[in-house]
Amino acid sequence: MREVIKLGLILLVITSVAAFVLGVTNEMTSSIIEERLHRENVEAIKSILPIAEEFNPIEGEGITDKELIVEVYEGIKDDEVVGYTVKTNPNGYSGTVEVLVGFSVDGEIVGVKIGQHTETPGLGSKIADSAYIGQFFNKAVDLGFSTTKDVPATDNDIQAITGATVSSDAVVDGINAAGSLFEEVLRNR
Amino acid sequence: MSATSIFIILVSSILVNNFVLSRFLGICPFLGVSKQVETALGMGMAVTFVMAMAALITYIVQIAILVPLGLEYLQTIAFILVIASLVQFVEMVIEKISPTLYQSLGVFLPLITTNCAVLGLAILNIQMKLNVLEAVIHAIGAAIGFALAIVLFAAIRERLELYNVPEVFKGFPIALITASLMSLAFMGFAGMV
Amino acid sequence: MKLGRIFTRGLVFDNPVFVQLLGMCPALAVTNSAENGMAMGLATTAVLLGSNLVISIIKGFIPSKIRIPAFIVVIATFVTMVGMIMKAYFPALDAALGLFIPLIVVNCLILARAESFASKSTPFNSIVDGIGMGLGFTVALTILGIVREFFGAGSIFGFAFMGEFFQPATIMTMPPGAFLALGLLLAIYNKITSKELNEL
Repeated sequence: MREVIKLGLILLVITSVAAFVLGVTNEMTSSIIEERLHRENVEAIKSILPIAEEFNPIEGEGITDKELIVEVYEGIKDDEVVGYTVKTNPNGYSGTVEVLVGFSVDGEIVGVKIGQHTETPGLGSKIADSAYIGQFFNKAVDLGFSTTKDVPATDNDIQAITGATVSSDAVVDGINAAGSLFEEVLRNR
Repeated sequence: MSATSIFIILVSSILVNNFVLSRFLGICPFLGVSKQVETALGMGMAVTFVMAMAALITYIVQIAILVPLGLEYLQTIAFILVIASLVQFVEMVIEKISPTLYQSLGVFLPLITTNCAVLGLAILNIQMKLNVLEAVIHAIGAAIGFALAIVLFAAIRERLELYNVPEVFKGFPIALITASLMSLAFMGFAGMV
Repeated sequence: MKLGRIFTRGLVFDNPVFVQLLGMCPALAVTNSAENGMAMGLATTAVLLGSNLVISIIKGFIPSKIRIPAFIVVIATFVTMVGMIMKAYFPALDAALGLFIPLIVVNCLILARAESFASKSTPFNSIVDGIGMGLGFTVALTILGIVREFFGAGSIFGFAFMGEFFQPATIMTMPPGAFLALGLLLAIYNKITSKELNEL
């Protein structure tokens, strides 16, 4: 019995030293990590809604609890709302894809950005190329986009990346989710 | 939670995101304990058992201890200790309750602590923000996927033994190339969910 | 044992990946580019150095009954520290390596070195062993990364130098390519070493 207590005490000493060391490291790094994440997020939403100068998060029922919607910000310039940014997380070919879209108060898309994703390098990863996401620009966010494998015939057709239809579908899903959010909630604010 | 979402988690973890062949978790036992179908099956069963329990316990540790105390940064150390003690505990219980089961699974149990599939699963469950039921289902699916991969692999390797493989490819090189072809086959499931 | 011998053993003769087949999960998972492979190798080296040093210092205080849990705590501490530092200063690498940073804990290489070397050796020798084994692991992962990136994306460390005529085989950066590349590299390694043995 005494041996068990002794062994337990030794392990306790080792784990408490470990916890202490980690606590100190965490203290030193956590503020840097948080600041960096915050800065990256702000930079990302600024890049898809460049006209706005300030961003306020919008939360609550019917918004952030909607399917695929992660984060919504309203962009403000001269005390007036000039647009919105919506972050969505649709399912891609392998895991979720972070799709950010920024649009004006009347729903015209001004920016699209693909955040973290794990799509196939060289194939699905092309969703982040401007050649692909450029197709959404200057269109209404609530147009109800759909993926096509042919040359787009109408405005709401988005040409899929060859060999990566599932990844292309994911982006369309994300933007359509932002579109229905705009139609149902944001337009009438 | 609906039946479809249970089904999706299962299919995804068994086939689409197979732990061994597409996530590269649990490669050590996959290569090490796959010379015979029988031992592979034993390993698969032992892992299934430990994974399901580890998923549940690490989930409770995360929700009930780490998050309320703001100690999420101790996640790695807490989870690995939970898994190591769990494996030890399971080993003792099986030895007491069923000596025959212990004979067939016993040798694999100590190896499971350093099977990165178990710790990987526990961390993934938290990262994917699953609820407790989803986490356990994910664990069962992942373990079945592991067992499926290792048993199939062992069956192929048993037959490979009979063939005349070039000298430099004998052993692990040919095993890895076999694994490559299996992984290629499993890629056919990608994009299903 | 001579220091040079301890060092080269990890780097070449007892290479963790090519000879001992340890740490296969990260070796296969993160080597889709030369940069990722090298980063994973260096992160593992850092943990190995730290754990080897600490374990060789405290080996006298730890009763053999609880040495495994004690080693695991020491290793997990260093892994968590490396993880925090990478998140703070190398966010891009942290995102690329993802889950495999915390999983350094269960890299059999580190526990194997703790158990078979650091717990029996002086701190200085343990550091040398850690550097040798760590660099051996790093070199192996970097080679694997170079091969996969070259065939899979037509570049090395992100520099594309092949002309337009080169059609990269994307499959090499995907899971099947990882198994295939390691299998072929092992066969080549066997070929070279068996020739040397025959000539001896």
